[in-house]
Amino acid sequence: MTRYIVRRVALSAVTLFLLVTIVFVIVNVLPDDPGRRIAGPFAPQETVDALNERLGANDPLLDQYGRLLKNAVTFDFGESFKFGQPVKEVLFPALARSAKLVVLGLVLTLPISIAAGIFAARRRNTLADRSVVTLGLASSSIPEFVSGVTLQFLIGVQLGWLPVLALAPSDAGFFAELEYLLLPALALVAVYFGYIARITRAGTISALDADYTRTAVMKGLTRRRVMTRHVMRNALQPTVAVIGTQIGYLFSGLIALELIFNYPGLGSLIVNAASDKDFPLLTAGVILVGIIYMLTTLTADLVIAWMNPRARLVGERV
Amino acid sequence: MDWKRFDRARRSIGPLELDLVESYAQGRISRRDFLRRGAVIGLSAPFLATILAACSSDEGGGDVSAAPTGGAVQQGGTLRVANLKPVTTDPVAMQDLPAYGVVAQCFEFLCTLGDDGDIAPGLAEEWSPNEDGSVWTFQLRQGVKWQDGSNFSSKDVAATMDRLVEAGQSGLTGVIEVGAVDASDPNVAVFNLTGPNGNLPYLVSVFNAQTPITPVDYETGTTLQDSPNGTGPWILDEYNGNTGATFSRNPDWWGDPPPLDKQEMQFFDDFGTMTTAMQGGSVDAIVQFVPIGGEALLNDPNFTTLDIEAATHQEVWMRTDTGQFKDARVRQALALTFDREAMVNTLFAGRAVVANDHVIAPFMPFFNDSVPQRAKDDEAARQLLSAAGFPDGLKAVLHAIDILEIPDLAALIQAQSKAAGFELELAVEPTDTFYGTQWCPPEPKDPPCSGAAELGIVNYGHRPVPDVYLNAAFATNGVWNSSQYSSADFDAAFKEFQASVGVEAQTAAAGTLETILNEDVPVGLPYFFNYLAGHSNNVTGVRVSALGQMFVEKAALTA
Repeated sequence: MTRYIVRRVALSAVTLFLLVTIVFVIVNVLPDDPGRRIAGPFAPQETVDALNERLGANDPLLDQYGRLLKNAVTFDFGESFKFGQPVKEVLFPALARSAKLVVLGLVLTLPISIAAGIFAARRRNTLADRSVVTLGLASSSIPEFVSGVTLQFLIGVQLGWLPVLALAPSDAGFFAELEYLLLPALALVAVYFGYIARITRAGTISALDADYTRTAVMKGLTRRRVMTRHVMRNALQPTVAVIGTQIGYLFSGLIALELIFNYPGLGSLIVNAASDKDFPLLTAGVILVGIIYMLTTLTADLVIAWMNPRARLVGERV
Repeated sequence: MDWKRFDRARRSIGPLELDLVESYAQGRISRRDFLRRGAVIGLSAPFLATILAACSSDEGGGDVSAAPTGGAVQQGGTLRVANLKPVTTDPVAMQDLPAYGVVAQCFEFLCTLGDDGDIAPGLAEEWSPNEDGSVWTFQLRQGVKWQDGSNFSSKDVAATMDRLVEAGQSGLTGVIEVGAVDASDPNVAVFNLTGPNGNLPYLVSVFNAQTPITPVDYETGTTLQDSPNGTGPWILDEYNGNTGATFSRNPDWWGDPPPLDKQEMQFFDDFGTMTTAMQGGSVDAIVQFVPIGGEALLNDPNFTTLDIEAATHQEVWMRTDTGQFKDARVRQALALTFDREAMVNTLFAGRAVVANDHVIAPFMPFFNDSVPQRAKDDEAARQLLSAAGFPDGLKAVLHAIDILEIPDLAALIQAQSKAAGFELELAVEPTDTFYGTQWCPPEPKDPPCSGAAELGIVNYGHRPVPDVYLNAAFATNGVWNSSQYSSADFDAAFKEFQASVGVEAQTAAAGTLETILNEDVPVGLPYFFNYLAGHSNNVTGVRVSALGQMFVEKAALTA
């Protein structure tokens, strides 16, 4: 297992290096004058020139690339052009907000969707199975911004049960924050319930039909033991893999939901940084999302390797 | 008419004031215009009241000093205000209404917003012109302190004006030069203008949003959050360009203490979300909203709409120096395709008035109605296009900023101009990129805005007098002159307008300006629309300038 972890971490480091290189190329393709962007359109040209010098915008590209690699390691990308604050001070609060929404969304989604998937698989081709599949398909085919707006209007505006915005006041306690986040989290549930339930169902059906399950039943294990020790361990591997990649997406891809609920998360921050040509923030944001993707997929791989020892042997000589 | 009282009053005033008083007495201007203009040239409220009483006018109108307030108000509490995300909060460089709204909480103007919606004493307690309006003297309010504890003085005014002139951003170009403000008396700021100007108080008021007074050592390029040291009723506690700003009451403010303890300004990306937040009770007040998408608020019995007649408008600029719109006939042709009534009804449900391709709004006291209104005429437009060398029509990209109703206006222009031969491709862009890439890119710098797109739509906030529009958007080398319009006739007419201090002279000069702009059409200007803002019914005392500024120092929550 240790060898497997080392190999996976090394691969992640290579991926990160490639990501930083790609980001550097993309950012340098776009023409801009960072000094002018910071100092404003009416600042004297001498001020702009001095700023560009200080920022190293006039340095050779190779020097800038070396600096970016160093920044990626220390995660110090200087100041955001737009906010005039250190990038970390802008990025990390947005990351924390996205994390809260993602965690709440997953806490609500995973138990019910995994349970529904297993429930449907064990009642294959019954009305219950078809209901779960149909409901899941219907809910996941509605984009989250549609379900978000609908929930916001019905529950927030019409019924007044929950706040229509997701960002709680700064002095709000834990439960108040939950209350504010509930509507967008419910919109996530609507989308991901069907997706995860269907994958879980398919994995469970496949595991239930497998030889090892038949053997376990034949050797007289209880139904509960068969399910927990043999079926679930194998059935949930695709679900874990999907969750691993989806978490990365959830951190940066909920732009529409963030807009609807006026929730300043990571996704909208990065999109705005791109449109503002706020390169330090954009670069740091993209690299941060890359790191999140790597960490979540790495975690998912490790969980899968723990669940299924055969997975650790992939790529090794046997 | 009480002639005795009237005579006594008019004997105490100069020629500029006398012209106004005579205009009113002879019925040439309305009571409302008399009050407005009187405030501009520094006539006191008691004097205005004396003239009104002497003339025994039976026109309706508001009290110049009354401040409407609600019933049982609570002391303390926090007001949650919805505003769009500002681009930059540098008082000198800011160009967007949301930024005006943020900065105006901490920094103040010589002339502030009165309860009647016009200008009123702010950091200046009173002001008066010399005989021809070329020198204006502002008596500054005494005992005003910056939030760092230092004293406000005329040196701050002089330094602010110098910064503004150097930046060339605030419509003061050509009005004053660097060093124009004499600050030898700390309590008096004397503005020595480059020529007579009857509207100077407006140019140093909330209605010229880049002119808040900043400390003498303030540097251009410094944002509010970098140096939140104003004289205003609110102290900036926290600022996050992504989420919002919080302000607390300034205990040392010169005015009556604000009833509220705090103000939380939440930033939004679009009007739709702001409107939903207001509907759902997540905010108490909304700085601006638009009729399209705002119907629910307009019909909400728990919401108070602040519907302000304004000169707010959108300008469809066309490059006059190069490209397909260089020939005035092409520009006239596009303006002829506008179905202005349809625009007003479709986009504003009637909360707007038709405009005539110039920036002098019908409610301005000197509006000259002698210029015939341009009406839709596709056949005439086709002929003009053909005569200008485009017999088969013309293809162009119409750049539009993604704010307010502008994307819908762009779509209407695209549809309405098709029959005349215009094939317009729409390019709608977000605020942050539009201003700096399509409208007035920072480069090339000379002349300003010479990097602007060939055709585009940009938004202009309300100004009670058109000087800033005329100076910045139309005067040769104006800082917002995206059409690169340059006309000796216009420049001369503008000078004449600025120098006109009497109402009749201003009306005559305005007529010349209207005619020139209507014929040359550097911009198509289809309508002026009302500014909509509002608050929930449990809030009172909120005022808005129609320029993105919501003033809440008199606001309170009610039981």
